[in-house]
Amino acid sequence: MSDVDLVVETVRDILTKHEPFVLSTERPWDAGLWSALAEAGLTGVGLPEEAGGSGGELADAVAIVGALAAGAAAVPVAEQLLVAAPAVLAADLDLPAPEEPLSFAVAGAVTAEPRDDGDGPGSWMLTGTATDVAWAGVAQHLAVLATSPVGPVLALVHVAGRQATHAANLAGEPRGSLVLQGVTAPGALLTEAQAEQLRARYALARAVQLSAALQQVLAWTVHHAGEREQFGRPLGKFQAIQMELAEMAGEVTAVAALVDAAVQAVERGESLVLACAAAKVRAGAAVEVVARLAHQVHGAIGFTQEHRLHHLTRRCWSWRDEAGTETAWAAVLGAGLLADGPDALWPALTRVV
Amino acid sequence: MGSNSLTLAPAPRSAAAEEVRAEVREFLAAELAAGTFTTHVDTWLSGVDPAFSCKLGERGWLGMTWPKRYGGHERTAMERYAVTEELLAAGAPVAAHWIADRQSGPNLLRYGTEAQRTEILPRIAAGECYFVIGMSEPDSGSDLASIRTRATRNGDGDWVVNGAKVWTSNAHTSHYAITLVRTSPADPANRHAGLSQLLVDLSLPGITVNPIRILDGGHHFNEVVFDDVVVPGEMLLGEEGAGWHQVTAELAFERSGPERFLSTYPLIAEFARRAADPAQLAALGRISARLLALRQLSLRIAGALDRGELPDIPAALVKDVGTTFEADVIDEVRRAVDVPASLDSPDPLGRALAEAQLHAPGYTLRGGTNEILRGIVARGLGLR
Ligand SMILES: Cc1cc2nc3c(=O)[nH]c(=O)nc-3n(C[C@H](O)[C@H](O)[C@H](O)COP(=O)(O)OP(=O)(O)OC[C@H]3O[C@@H](n4cnc5c(N)ncnc54)[C@H](O)[C@@H]3O)c2cc1C
Repeated sequence: MSDVDLVVETVRDILTKHEPFVLSTERPWDAGLWSALAEAGLTGVGLPEEAGGSGGELADAVAIVGALAAGAAAVPVAEQLLVAAPAVLAADLDLPAPEEPLSFAVAGAVTAEPRDDGDGPGSWMLTGTATDVAWAGVAQHLAVLATSPVGPVLALVHVAGRQATHAANLAGEPRGSLVLQGVTAPGALLTEAQAEQLRARYALARAVQLSAALQQVLAWTVHHAGEREQFGRPLGKFQAIQMELAEMAGEVTAVAALVDAAVQAVERGESLVLACAAAKVRAGAAVEVVARLAHQVHGAIGFTQEHRLHHLTRRCWSWRDEAGTETAWAAVLGAGLLADGPDALWPALTRVV
Repeated sequence: MGSNSLTLAPAPRSAAAEEVRAEVREFLAAELAAGTFTTHVDTWLSGVDPAFSCKLGERGWLGMTWPKRYGGHERTAMERYAVTEELLAAGAPVAAHWIADRQSGPNLLRYGTEAQRTEILPRIAAGECYFVIGMSEPDSGSDLASIRTRATRNGDGDWVVNGAKVWTSNAHTSHYAITLVRTSPADPANRHAGLSQLLVDLSLPGITVNPIRILDGGHHFNEVVFDDVVVPGEMLLGEEGAGWHQVTAELAFERSGPERFLSTYPLIAEFARRAADPAQLAALGRISARLLALRQLSLRIAGALDRGELPDIPAALVKDVGTTFEADVIDEVRRAVDVPASLDSPDPLGRALAEAQLHAPGYTLRGGTNEILRGIVARGLGLR
């Protein structure tokens, strides 16, 4: 068994004791699951031990995020392992302890003013409100991509105890706002390119989650089609149903191939924005087909909160819009591919992943 | 994972493939500049240009993966992938040799006699010898096992062939047809038994090739009629009675390549010249994301071929997703621009739209319809 398989096995093992539930304002996340993951050191995977992490590679972190997404786990692991923590480290800021949930927000409306010399890691005074913050009210720390007169700033804000407005995505995952008026926080100036790469990594994190969730939705649907009988036969014996499942499989397989390739591009340290953009756009586009057909094959039971399907379809419907919508990333991808002019489109395409 | 699971391992990166890619790119730029060809949509069906095929043969870009003793170049499927992909993206005229290089040659390599291989493979690799697929018949399309073209042994041990094949792409410009025939009577209990493949020289007496026009008026389809055609006994390909098995293997090659998602790439390239506003750039981005995913899938298949696998189920999946994409490109572009499709358009984008549209019904039919492919994928999912 490879290291990655081992990590996935551990996550799945933990997940068997933490079934997904319907999220609410009272219970907006799975604190018990988070503790179990943190205890097992899984909330620090892919982060160097010197920085307080558990070590391991990006591939391990990606595998954890995938396994948790497939399990509809209500914990901020994707944000922490794939986006916020690597960004904090890259910016030379002190990483919070991995057992304290760290989330990420792209906050164009938050401005940062340097409180000291202003270049390199330093202290910043924030103004404004971060909206659409993943796990607002749950995360204890927030890496905020803010703007400043001198360029983008990544600030690390201690948000534990700070009041978040209530807002949730289609699956009930907290996406409220945090008022950061007058907050002082350590932060670092980024180049525009670094900021774009950070946004792209956020998009890739959602793409990784989508890919894993879509694979799970397909597996559940195939399973359902094998179990549920009508007209004296399992649904999966009907050709119409087979066509729908095959179409789902085509989408799921295509998404996985591109998301894997984008992750590998990031691992190789290549210019990653277009690869992440493509992965996010492709994964988002598959949601329409896969979720629609999954619900169609499940029938009415899949349209209830009594059945597990909604845990993933509702997440997918939101994740495709989060960390930059498909339309936004598609425009970035289109423009990026034309950077050397339209005649260089093909060479650009063969370079992306 | 086994070759019958839906997903394949990621393709290894290949420096050799990138090297030959650059060479092909340079060659194509020079040919385009010299005006030896102009870019068109779906040229692997319609761009017949023997001189161009010979040039590719001279450069070692045909029969790339075959042993050197048969005129091949012993390169990897990944390298071949790069070459074919570059040719398709440029909309180069590759139809003359396409079938021979893609599937007939590999089929001969697997099942042919030594004499058949030494006689024919070097000519394919040189870009001089072209093949057609003799599978479909007027009454047998998706249900290929129901074919009725018959071959019986005569007193000299030769085969006497009677029947008709149809939709035979480029039979009028090709030399051989690998023809699926019934060599023993149909057995209702085993429909796949009693079929064989014959290597039929299309210049033999008794063969008539009748043109059938496709939607744009082009001549690609033919009806090929066999009237007491005597095919030498040694032109049996592989084993008598193993035709079904051999055809299935051939289809894995037929279904797995980049031509299953790049037929309309020249339209995308033309659209790119027009894409300027955010909505158009987003349309280009959406198209590109789908194309990039298909490339990864197709590269994985090339990697599997290099490992000696014959990934027929993943190939069926890629072809279903890929050909659906080829047709969707037309709609995505149409909705992003205000350009009517016409073969006579003064606007190259209008012409590309017209070419792509008039060929579109073929994308999801040829090489096995998408319904049939989805049936294969459903088998991969364990549903049948
Ligand atoms: C551009 C082009 C090039 C071609 N070139 C060649 C060639 O060179 N050589 C050659 O031999 N053939 C060639 N073909 C033929 C091709 O292989 C057939 O068109 C294909 O196999 C389908 O057969 P058919 O056209 O008779 O359609 P049919 O089999 O009659 O199918 C018609 C429709 O019914 C559906 N259908 C049929 N059976 C089922 C089923 N069991 N379940 C669900 N749906 C079903 C099909 O999916 C399709 O939608 C070519 C076709 C095209 C379009």
